[in-house]
Amino acid sequence: MMQKKTWIAATAASAMAVGLAACTPSGGDSAESGEITWAIGGARSQPGAAHDQIADLWNEANPDTPVTVEALPESADEAREQQALVLQAGGSEFDVLGLDVVWTGEYVENDWIVELDDLRGELDAAVLPGPMESSSWSGSLWAVPLNTNTGVLYYRTDLVEEAPSDWEALCQAASELDDSMSGYIGQGARYEGFTVNWLELYWSAGGELYNEDQSEVLFDVDTATEVTSFVAEATQNGCFAPGFNTAMEEESRIAYQSGDVAFMRNWPGPYSLIAEDTESPAHEATAVAPLPGFDGNPGVAAIGGFNNAISAFSENQEVAKDFVVWAATDPEVQQILAENSTLPVLSSAYENSDDPLITQLGEVLQTAQPRPSVPAWNEISLEIQSTIFPAVNGEMDPRAAAEQLAEFLEGTVAE
Amino acid sequence: MSTTIRTQPPPRLRRLPGHGLTDVALARLFIAPSVLVMAAVVLFPIGFALVTSLRSYTRRQVDGFAGLANYATVLSDPAFWAAMRFTGLFTVTSVALEFVIGLAFALLMNHARRGRGMTRAVILVPWVIPTVVAGQMWAFMFNINPGFINSLLGLDDFNWLGSAGWATVTVIAADVWKTAPFAALLLLAGLQTIPAELYESARMDGAGAWQRFRHVTLPLLRPAIMVALLFRTVDAVRVYDLPQVMTGGAFGTESLSMLVRQFIVITPDPGIGAALSTITFALVLGVGVLFVSQIGRSMVEGGSTR
Amino acid sequence: MSTVNGTRVRRRSGGEWLHDGLLVVVFLWCLAPFVWLILTSLKQGDAALNDPDLLQGPFGLGNYVAVLAQDFALNMRNSFAVASMATLLSVSIGVMAAYALARLPVRRRIALMTGVLAASLFPPVALVPPLYEAWRTFGLLNTYEGMYLAYVSFSLPLVIFIMSTFFAAIPRELEESAKIDGASALQAFARVILPLAIPGVVSAMILTFVTAWNEYLLASTFAPRNPEIAQTVPVAIATFTGAVEYQRPIGTITAASVLVTIPMIILALLLQRRIVAGLTAGAVKG
Repeated sequence: MMQKKTWIAATAASAMAVGLAACTPSGGDSAESGEITWAIGGARSQPGAAHDQIADLWNEANPDTPVTVEALPESADEAREQQALVLQAGGSEFDVLGLDVVWTGEYVENDWIVELDDLRGELDAAVLPGPMESSSWSGSLWAVPLNTNTGVLYYRTDLVEEAPSDWEALCQAASELDDSMSGYIGQGARYEGFTVNWLELYWSAGGELYNEDQSEVLFDVDTATEVTSFVAEATQNGCFAPGFNTAMEEESRIAYQSGDVAFMRNWPGPYSLIAEDTESPAHEATAVAPLPGFDGNPGVAAIGGFNNAISAFSENQEVAKDFVVWAATDPEVQQILAENSTLPVLSSAYENSDDPLITQLGEVLQTAQPRPSVPAWNEISLEIQSTIFPAVNGEMDPRAAAEQLAEFLEGTVAE
Repeated sequence: MSTTIRTQPPPRLRRLPGHGLTDVALARLFIAPSVLVMAAVVLFPIGFALVTSLRSYTRRQVDGFAGLANYATVLSDPAFWAAMRFTGLFTVTSVALEFVIGLAFALLMNHARRGRGMTRAVILVPWVIPTVVAGQMWAFMFNINPGFINSLLGLDDFNWLGSAGWATVTVIAADVWKTAPFAALLLLAGLQTIPAELYESARMDGAGAWQRFRHVTLPLLRPAIMVALLFRTVDAVRVYDLPQVMTGGAFGTESLSMLVRQFIVITPDPGIGAALSTITFALVLGVGVLFVSQIGRSMVEGGSTR
Repeated sequence: MSTVNGTRVRRRSGGEWLHDGLLVVVFLWCLAPFVWLILTSLKQGDAALNDPDLLQGPFGLGNYVAVLAQDFALNMRNSFAVASMATLLSVSIGVMAAYALARLPVRRRIALMTGVLAASLFPPVALVPPLYEAWRTFGLLNTYEGMYLAYVSFSLPLVIFIMSTFFAAIPRELEESAKIDGASALQAFARVILPLAIPGVVSAMILTFVTAWNEYLLASTFAPRNPEIAQTVPVAIATFTGAVEYQRPIGTITAASVLVTIPMIILALLLQRRIVAGLTAGAVKG
């Protein structure tokens, strides 16, 4: 008897499910002419966040050609894959594509985006050169910068008098700290952030990956070995915090904010979180400075951020072009970005700012360098992670790692 | 779809057509929907992948026929062998632990006198937490910053996820925590097919608890054990979420599926990705066939000996 | 009833103490991390969330408010619909196939079982690009159908294998005596065998439902956005971001996980009676 009841209950539950699932609720709106879709990832694409505010601003002024934000995942790989699936199928769902600074070459090679050389005139004078460089590939402009980003050194003003100018000074200061504290943390986990952190060191020591048009490899094995050995030693001797090799941006912030380390490499984004945390020992005792270099030379930071490109399959390319230029050059848009813990690409935003942090970051950006946006960037970055990361962690000889990387880089040019 | 109607509740049965179906016709009718669904949804992508694995690509664009070159590339890639090593170690260790713990849980639940309902619900908790979330949770707990596990165990700065052997241990521990209940549930279903009289008569014959387990439970539970091991093993060989979220593949924790994803998503080369998937598939299938022949045999025996 | 020892006289022996002790271990094993999840979800603010001391407050319901403000109820609805349909379909057609494989005259039984299993063994990551293209062509992206069809193909083999072993364990005499009484093969299955297999069916339902409920990879590809249409819970949780770039929203993630786990626990509590019910000796006698 029990079984019969059970069976009936199960059937009833199933019937309910059918009723519920019979049709997928319809939502969303069909594209009308003139409407454009902006597919961009990250925290600032959440409802009500910076990208929404920018879209609202545009829609007020252009009610006939409104823009809708399609929020892609925060993870760069996943955001790129969602764009790739649509573009690979020749889909016209996305008009404006938010590109991470290292994707340009790959998108060009896949014929996914349109060339934008005719927009140069409006941009060259107004927009920072670094982001413009990251939007270019083989001599042409393929995207328009939206926001930029750069690595900086956070330090505890209550523990050191001034920011260390080079790594030797930083590790010296670290050794004088209280035993309960470590010196430095950065992004040392095995992911794109590791590549960025290591490249900053390598650039600071005078190294380069390629020449200007990426036709020739300039990789220097000696410099790479030196830099890698430095990190390996610093990890061993405690200058770098024990959690360095598993830290991404968030773990770095947690370590710094809870007072475990005196120095941190991070983007400017977390600054506001640290400054607002009244319980943190770093609260009111934090300043940012340019990254340290080697032998008294200043450090070189890497550029991050988003550029807007236009889909080759967009049915509204003219509107899309107007939108991306407007987003790069409208002071109000750039102000929204500055207020949302990221950095404007408009030069005048730095000159006219009365925020000392923004002015300071403007100076860092003068010397900051983009990663080469070659089509094979991800392959290169993975190779750096599979050679240099083990070397830093004592599982591979630094010179052997550098030599293997050099060989790989030569292969990317020979193609 | 029309065939599914035939499994409706008994009262209407008499009026349904098919009253006079022969056993053979019924068998065909019963198997057809499953075969159709599997063919419709999965066969095409697998065929697609097999073809893809024979082509050469420049990034995402096809540029010719590659023959077996993609397979050669994969087999000569040290990253592939490293992934094989981790995947093998992960599979053997996690399946063994999950089986032992799952069996213990299942026996306990089957014999529970008090709190049986609660136990059965509670045991599902680890398993119903989405894997992506569980991975993040364990990564966060094991991470040196802020260091929950370390402060719980009184370890100061132990870097679980940042040292070679321990990273693997951590990933396996998270998987065992999460999936042992799955094994338990499968084994519990099997335990309930064992008639209580068999235990009673074994008891009458003077068999102790261990002897009853050894001579009644284990042999009769064999089909369920095989099913549990089969599905845990084929899932473990394809493990992706946990190591991806917890370590990102650092310190020798990159699995075969993570490598497949690298060639499909991160550094796209569909030819290599498909070749790698096909190799993984062949491995999993090899394991699967071994189990299925065992299960098939015990099913035939189980049906005929009574 | 089926439970062993069910009628024995109550008396706490050493064995019982051991038994209860082991139960405590099971509870700890399953619940300790869940307690961590709940406490973390109640923590307010960055400092508390990132403090290694689990009892470091302040506590409050802020994370739950934030989660529910994000259309999370719609995500739950989508997950429930997709998982229910996947369960219903795969269990109903899987049970039939399993019965046929276990009991009916089927040629190449093992080959068929291997074939069905094999079809689900391809690494799911590699299925995504071709399935995406196909689903796009058939208009199945951003629909429930697109997801549950795929999930049925993932879970069918498991259902078939569980149920075949279950059916195989049911004595053949039951069908034979039904047939002597004049029942057809179909009637013997539906009236005699299926009711006995309910505990197995319920186990298979739970396994299928939870697998579909937790699936991330395909869901994030087929319906990555729009909770009002088809985005499921794990995908929604993965899209949670902090107020600031790179900030890990551990508070809302844990709150959302607790919210999705509660209906599962209720479901398990409701269904667990069915797992125990019937079958084996008692049922056979009846």
